[in-house]
Amino acid sequence: MSPKTTRRDFVKRAASALTAVITIPQIIPSSALGMGKRIAPSDRIVMGAIGMGYQGTYNMRDFLKLKDAVQFVAVCDVDANHLAKAKNTVDLANKNNDCATYGDYREFFVKEKLDAVMLAIPDHWHGIIYTAASNSKINVYGEKPICRTIHDGQAIVKSVKKNNIIWQTGSWQRSEPNFHRGAELVINGRIGKIKYIEVGLPDGNKGIGTPPIMQVPPELNWDMWLGPALKVPYRGVTHWDWRWILDYSGGSMTDWAGHHIDIANWGAGLEHTGPVEIKGTGVYPVEGIFNVPVEYDFLCRYANGIEMRVANESRIPLGMGTTWYGELGWVHVDRGNVITASNPKILTEVIGENEIHLYKSDNHWQNFVDSVRSGKPTIAPVEVAYRAISVALLGEIAITTGQTIKWDPDKEEIIGNPRASRMLSRPYRQPWSIPIV
Amino acid sequence: MKKQFLFFIMATALLTFLPGCKKDTKYSTLIITGQNNHKWKESSVILKQILDETGLFSSEIMITPEKGGNMNKFNPNFSKYKLVVLDYNGDSWSDNTNAEFLKYVKDGGGVVIYHAADNSFPEWKEYNEIIGLGGWGNRTEKNGPYIYLKGNDLVYDSTAGVAGSHGKKSEYIITNRIVDHPITKGLPVRWLHGSDELYSQLRGPGKNMQILATAFSDSIVGVGTMRNEPLLMIITYGKGRIFHTAMGDDYDGAGPAMQCAGFITTLQRGAEWAVTGNVTQIVPFDFPSAAGVVLRPDYKEITLEEAMANIGNYDIGKSTKYLSCIQSHIRNLAGSEQGLRDIEKMMDKILVHNKATVAAKKLLLRELSWMGSDYSIPAIKKLVSNAELKDEAEYALARLQPTN
Repeated sequence: MSPKTTRRDFVKRAASALTAVITIPQIIPSSALGMGKRIAPSDRIVMGAIGMGYQGTYNMRDFLKLKDAVQFVAVCDVDANHLAKAKNTVDLANKNNDCATYGDYREFFVKEKLDAVMLAIPDHWHGIIYTAASNSKINVYGEKPICRTIHDGQAIVKSVKKNNIIWQTGSWQRSEPNFHRGAELVINGRIGKIKYIEVGLPDGNKGIGTPPIMQVPPELNWDMWLGPALKVPYRGVTHWDWRWILDYSGGSMTDWAGHHIDIANWGAGLEHTGPVEIKGTGVYPVEGIFNVPVEYDFLCRYANGIEMRVANESRIPLGMGTTWYGELGWVHVDRGNVITASNPKILTEVIGENEIHLYKSDNHWQNFVDSVRSGKPTIAPVEVAYRAISVALLGEIAITTGQTIKWDPDKEEIIGNPRASRMLSRPYRQPWSIPIV
Repeated sequence: MKKQFLFFIMATALLTFLPGCKKDTKYSTLIITGQNNHKWKESSVILKQILDETGLFSSEIMITPEKGGNMNKFNPNFSKYKLVVLDYNGDSWSDNTNAEFLKYVKDGGGVVIYHAADNSFPEWKEYNEIIGLGGWGNRTEKNGPYIYLKGNDLVYDSTAGVAGSHGKKSEYIITNRIVDHPITKGLPVRWLHGSDELYSQLRGPGKNMQILATAFSDSIVGVGTMRNEPLLMIITYGKGRIFHTAMGDDYDGAGPAMQCAGFITTLQRGAEWAVTGNVTQIVPFDFPSAAGVVLRPDYKEITLEEAMANIGNYDIGKSTKYLSCIQSHIRNLAGSEQGLRDIEKMMDKILVHNKATVAAKKLLLRELSWMGSDYSIPAIKKLVSNAELKDEAEYALARLQPTN
């Protein structure tokens, strides 16, 4: 009996104990039991996870908090230490030793038959692994920002739609009451017609210089960690700090796009479109291995005349968070349940029956589980996440070229600038490519 | 020692897009020094070099009589100058010289107050109005309130007490408080300054003064006032404009405080503003940010020609500044076809140069992948057969020839 069967037997036993109906010989994920996407509320969702660093661990913890909602059965990471830690967490939760471990996501997708997968990997891997997950017809909880380039994002959206899977982006601020409330007040015109939006994202921090070339630690598959990115010698910069290197991320500017730009779009009704013109400036480190902008300030103009400024917090009057400015005043939201307004009275106003009621979720991870069960969309669907990160990626292109970029949000193309258009993708190192959707 | 190979690839066209700040008629500048509790013999020469480097100023250093000497012999003809830089902390000048200086400022002369010059002349009322804030020299509440920022709020604190203090030298973050002033426009809002004294508890009349930049004085980098202490100020006095930098200490010899590209640049910009009320200088690529201190050991900015001549020796383990310089020039070109072509041609020469490092070629291929043209394709195609450069060459070709 293979370990895999044992694991599934455990799920079977667990499920049987609860429902006493499933008696088929081999346990397969509930979604495959001829119920399409729908999973009976009494059944646990069989989950796997790829990327067990900081954010992956955090997400798994939040899924495990949902009592009897999910059961993790497999984890995947290119760092054996992360993998062992994750397996331990899962085994403790399952009270067994059956969690399967993988160092290669391809094997993970071939062998595991799952209802859902949690993906928390560095951004340069998103294009490939997000589409691979979708193509495997597994529902995805995927970390933001959902792509490193616009072309990666387009492929991900296409694959999620074509495979008709449930997608939740890790833009958890949507499931926090103050962000929801702020967006709902704004979209219902409580500050009049929106004219201007300011989005403050984190300031850059001190660099680390350039560490010397080091021996790759035995637990790390460095070549796999790099994957489609250009090969570079190992300098001890992997977990967490990849965020400050352009090959893998655009820095806090792209990292946080999936939060405060996403919220800005939500309230302003810009979730399904993009800017038509983007211009801006950035400040880059002079020395060291970190090369993402430490300061950035760009302005986007939308077809309907709304302007959105995105900058590091020290450049924005209200600092971190999203501020919508309308004809009648402003509303500001930020983490820590912050919601303020030019006229505090509107904060207590009731949204009427016939007004717009934005999608409500009180728990981002529960929302995903609910959607996997019901087949209904999540609060942070894929195309909305793609539109949020597109803003920052276009800002990055405007800053890099020093030019005003013109963007067609319907065709999703840069207009009349071949050099800028080249930056819509980052070519993959052989043999990697985006799986065919 | 093996001499580094320099890559002489400068194209004549290069000069056409270099920032043009060389002037036919330079602003005649007087640097006054000669008495100071700091190493004025060094600092005054460095100040001259920093100012003259811009091509805007022609400076001369005037040395006062030494301490206790006959100050009646010190009679500069201020009206000859557009800018007076004070690197002086010493004996009182003669009444006549004081009057001439005040007339110079009132009539619209530019002034730069450098570091300990704000310690000087505690009893001279008008001078204290010119510097805005001062410290030491038995300054107390009679010289005016402590002026600082608490959070973002400007505070005039008339608590009694002595003026002026600093902790031991440290690197610290400067925060620009006015970002649309000609001096600060386009600069990072937060930048790490080279190890320096953090002047704190300055007092003064602060009349017609604006605080351009502050640093937070905690017990690690300062004396722990827990205030945002003003370090860059602008003051108007009559028709005169004064730029006051409290940074740049050279007590134990010139070092990071004066070599800091942020100190140098703000001094250059502040000096130009003091003369004209405007700033024409382009923000240098090496202005520091929160990412780290940037020092210029020779007080000069690297030019694009120097960056191109050195990039072929590129070794990320040593420095990334030449790359940063080239990337900054590319951004500043804002898509200029001619400018990008010129840089591309220089890059291509390094790409095919047998003495250029693999690391240099790798990073040039990344840059060329987006800003290059068909011109580079033949050179890049040749690199595909080079095992060390194959990935980067293919990366560049994938972008330059998207259909292939």
